[in-house]
Amino acid sequence: MKIELRNMRYVYPTGDEALKGIDLLIEGIEPVAIIGQNGAGKTTLVKHFNGILRPTSGEVLINGENIQNCSTAQWSKEVGYIFQNPDDQLFLESVRKEFEFGPLQIGMSKEEIEERMKWVATLVGLSDKLDIHPFDLTSTEKKFCSIGAIIMMNPNAMIFDEPTCGQDVDGNLRLRKIINELKERGKLCITISHDMKFVVDNFKRVIVMWKGKVLLDEKAENVFSQVETLKKSFVSPPPITKVAQGAGLRKTVFTTEAFIKVFEEQRMV
Amino acid sequence: MAKISNSFVPKDTIIEELNPMTKILAVFSLGLGTLIFPNSWLGLIIIIGLFFVAYLAKTLKDFTKIMFGFGIPITVMLMFIQGCYSPKNVTIIAEFGFLQVGLEGVLYAFKIISTLLVFLGTFYIMNKTTYTGKLVAALTNSGLPPKAGYLVLASLNVVPQMQRRMEVIQEAQGARGVEIGGGIIARIKAYIPLLGPVVMSALTDAQERGMTLETRGFGITGVKQTSYVEVTQSNLDRILKAILILFFIIVVILTVLMKLNII
Repeated sequence: MKIELRNMRYVYPTGDEALKGIDLLIEGIEPVAIIGQNGAGKTTLVKHFNGILRPTSGEVLINGENIQNCSTAQWSKEVGYIFQNPDDQLFLESVRKEFEFGPLQIGMSKEEIEERMKWVATLVGLSDKLDIHPFDLTSTEKKFCSIGAIIMMNPNAMIFDEPTCGQDVDGNLRLRKIINELKERGKLCITISHDMKFVVDNFKRVIVMWKGKVLLDEKAENVFSQVETLKKSFVSPPPITKVAQGAGLRKTVFTTEAFIKVFEEQRMV
Repeated sequence: MAKISNSFVPKDTIIEELNPMTKILAVFSLGLGTLIFPNSWLGLIIIIGLFFVAYLAKTLKDFTKIMFGFGIPITVMLMFIQGCYSPKNVTIIAEFGFLQVGLEGVLYAFKIISTLLVFLGTFYIMNKTTYTGKLVAALTNSGLPPKAGYLVLASLNVVPQMQRRMEVIQEAQGARGVEIGGGIIARIKAYIPLLGPVVMSALTDAQERGMTLETRGFGITGVKQTSYVEVTQSNLDRILKAILILFFIIVVILTVLMKLNII
């Protein structure tokens, strides 16, 4: 999977320039997190990855092919997009039908749908709720239903817009499991999130957006060690990282264990 | 997030500055005036005047589009129906094979069209140049109960809101492999699955908004509510209002005189 952006700009019909020249290359299957303040252009950016929005100028290439060549429906085979609000996505009378809908649209065979259904339902934790109306699910389950509906379509890349929003601890763990399992199956996950703990737990590569530009695009450790730059983008590192920075630890840590380890090492010297 | 412009876009024009009540008065005075006036000349003059007003309000392009977009098909339709089949037809002005076009019917069609266009045009300009909040504040200031005011506000706001939702839902379905572009049949087919979520979410939104309003003390009784939106009345407003009322009175008098065959 390869997503490439070349000097891409996007201007909304109202005249607001949401993206001001983005150069970006996402290749392989290593999960990527996109963070940044509200209005930084995160959602606008990822909406270009499957052609929901088309660049005003510059190029978006998916596996080398220009995004302009196909419609969003055609790109949906390649790039899945899970909307922030599940209510925008779900409209059928049962979870099972929701899961079948996308695959049927793109012409997946009945057998393949059956086979994927079992795996996906277990993965998103809705195995015993397949015949329930999506409106009767809890908000967390609804979110997983919309995630499942997209995974069912077997795209090679998946975009999650704020999957952690409104999730409890179990939900976050499940998301983590989903991201890991998709990676094992060779799928690329791109996630927008405000939950820094979730970001550092699951993503090695972090892209920081700021006022329509890519401010940082590096390994998570490097991103969160640049305190001053982060301050500019109003992103604050996870609590434990901040404590470590405050205590003068030389390495950037994301977990309590790592903190203790680095702290011990430094005390030895 | 995507910004989709509401029907009102501030353009800093003289029309925008006017008190909403003046504009409402204009809609009714001009519209009803055209309606009762015996022939369509008055309507025609008002329509030409409206183009000038639209120019002042900097919406001439959209205004022209809507006037012709509505005006031409309705003219063709009414001309055909009234012109050819009106029972009042006596004087035949043209003949096309089996069709006979009558003068009375044509005049009557003109009358209906001009009245419709005056109402449409005035309402369009009012809607385009008035911030709904200001409109409702003006209405409540002149004695409309706040609850009824909210009803007006909510119904005027619901359209752009639903449009916005529709757009997001369309995107979401596109991302699920529903082809949303293409021919008319493909479009209609794509629209059907969208209707469910749009209507459902509009209903849940309405319920939620109701609850929010309650928690913010909207239903409180025995208190004189104030408005954050300031509605001013300028001298121009007073003059225009007087002119509009005078106009209507003159039209009524003229109509009565004409009906009585005095002039």
